[in-house]
Amino acid sequence: MANLETQILDDIIVTGRRKLLTLGSAALAGLVLGSAKEAHAATTYNDSDILNFALNLEYLEANFYYLAAFGCTIDKPNAAAIAAGAPAAGIPITGSVGTAGTVTGGSKVPFVTTQVASYAIETAIEEGKHVLFLQSALSTLAVAQPAINLGTSWQMLGSALTPAAPTFTPYDSEADFLLGAYVFEDVGVTAYHGAASLLTVSGNLSAAAGILAVEAYHAGLVRTTINTLDTTGTTLIPVTNAISNLRAALAVQVAASTTYDPSPDDYGLATFQVSLAGGANVTATRLVDAAADNSKTFAIATARTVGQVLNIVTGGSSFKNGALTSPATGVFYPNGMNAGPNGFK
Amino acid sequence: MDTKLNSLIDKALSRRNFLAGAGSVAAVGLMAGCANDGVTNMSGGSSTGSYTDADVLNFALNLEYLEAQFYLYAATGHGLATTDTSIPSGYTGTYTMGTVTTNSSVAQVGGGITAAQQQIINEIAYEEQEHVRFLRAALGPAAVPMPNIDLTFFAPLASLASNGALTSFSPFASFDAFLVGAFIFEDVGVTAYAGAAPLITAAGVASGYLTAAAGILAVEAYHAAYIRTAITGRAIAAGSATAYPYITYANDVAALRATLTVGNSGAPGTGTGNTGAAGSSTSVEVPLALPTGLTTPSSIVAADSKTAIGFARSVNQVHHIVYGSATVGAKSGGFFPSGTNSIFSTTTA
Repeated sequence: MANLETQILDDIIVTGRRKLLTLGSAALAGLVLGSAKEAHAATTYNDSDILNFALNLEYLEANFYYLAAFGCTIDKPNAAAIAAGAPAAGIPITGSVGTAGTVTGGSKVPFVTTQVASYAIETAIEEGKHVLFLQSALSTLAVAQPAINLGTSWQMLGSALTPAAPTFTPYDSEADFLLGAYVFEDVGVTAYHGAASLLTVSGNLSAAAGILAVEAYHAGLVRTTINTLDTTGTTLIPVTNAISNLRAALAVQVAASTTYDPSPDDYGLATFQVSLAGGANVTATRLVDAAADNSKTFAIATARTVGQVLNIVTGGSSFKNGALTSPATGVFYPNGMNAGPNGFK
Repeated sequence: MDTKLNSLIDKALSRRNFLAGAGSVAAVGLMAGCANDGVTNMSGGSSTGSYTDADVLNFALNLEYLEAQFYLYAATGHGLATTDTSIPSGYTGTYTMGTVTTNSSVAQVGGGITAAQQQIINEIAYEEQEHVRFLRAALGPAAVPMPNIDLTFFAPLASLASNGALTSFSPFASFDAFLVGAFIFEDVGVTAYAGAAPLITAAGVASGYLTAAAGILAVEAYHAAYIRTAITGRAIAAGSATAYPYITYANDVAALRATLTVGNSGAPGTGTGNTGAAGSSTSVEVPLALPTGLTTPSSIVAADSKTAIGFARSVNQVHHIVYGSATVGAKSGGFFPSGTNSIFSTTTA
């Protein structure tokens, strides 16, 4: 796999800036589907713009997990982080594009079970590797870490939930940590999924597919663990449904629903009814975040456009007065994302 | 199984590129139409290359038939409906519809599973059933019918993986055994879709097949994460691999999968999992860890140790695994006693 990085780097250099699809028509996972709202300029993006968008998301995820698992940010690993496999020199947060921003908020979670603690450590290390991989693949085109809010952002998010949870923080218990992780992971899946068909360089697609798989492993891990902890379905699972409902509402603001990505395009962990061959409806868990309409969606995961993902991670600020606005700022990205001259923000 | 075991020992497989002809895939002429459910139909594909997008999707369909049958039997004691396995209307190919080989052990998962556990099996069964339906709808008249599938292969596979220690393993015997049975498939499904996605032509990308494949890849990874998380969590709760041997069974399966594909592109140099040189993986398998205390990581995710990027397998590597055979030139075996209904059905080096 070491060769993959080299190959991707070469591909980016050789292929250079290629044509590209517009944010609206192509990011729309569902090319199969119909048209979606195209309330945005027909800007074209190249592979590096797309990978930099992913890098912005990875900076956010990696810092969240580093803070939760170790109590430090990715650029200043403490002894616990290094012992678990973090690079001793830290993960760089500077880049050729944009100014390195700081991370506010966040603290180590008081873990009490081996299960959740070990999952947090594993995920932190893996998200850090994704940052390093994308930086390496992008080389001189890589963006710096944007300013990231991992403190008061959680209360902003909590306030937007129904029912509202205005004092929510993911750092005070294992259960709340899992809910915080839940906020990110399914979004990561939909973002890489939506990006896949935008990429034009074969090596980039392979890498994106590989990271998509890992984000889905993380998402499945988080959903499984929450499902295991909430044996009555009354404590954590209703919160997952509230989070999914919010994400779905923010996504549909930007793009209309489609066959494979219907509205709502996001589902919490509450059980649902399914029809199995040769039998009546039975109750099923919802460990996979995929729509489940027998006639349409075929249990295929949602893909979101860059605009939809931006709107989610900025709490709706990228969509104002019926159109996408740029830069989108708010919630986790108080100053917006770092992007090149043509990149997503 | 002696033949297979011997072949494992005897084979010294040569390295080769990802897939025969992979570099020369030509654009496929698609006759796109719309099925009733809105899925773009890709019947009648033609190609000047060695295979078409339909061939790639039909390869995936073979795997989905296998997964769906396993999970449906586990959930209900019955398999796919005939309408989901038969020759589609307008089919002009030569493959015929097969049957599922079962025995008395192939039944709804027993061992006193809980309602919550049953709901988990129901979910996975449903999702795999839907994947079969999706691919059949997308392929339309080009969809291959279900090949012969042998759901009694788990026992010989487990025997092979455990060096003969497990003689009558059945994934239908208990929930823990089911987890091991599912473990056999799920990481493979993830890597198979990751390997197949880049094979889809530009025309196929424009028709949405890449996005669909990526969406199924994600679901397979959710499933794989569930299985790996459940086995890890139950092993932690039990306290040791001795107290919860299923984690060892799963890792034996992972090691066997690595052995079956040794020598192939991207495949491991050893049969023991991720034992590559520091900083790079030579294996596409990551065994499950058993974390102890609050400072050691788990290994839920199967990904490269340096980049944390998920692995890909070639269609050939996947065939070696589902045939349970390292033999080059094998046309059938294991879960597919008459081979897959696929142009990729013969294993190569």
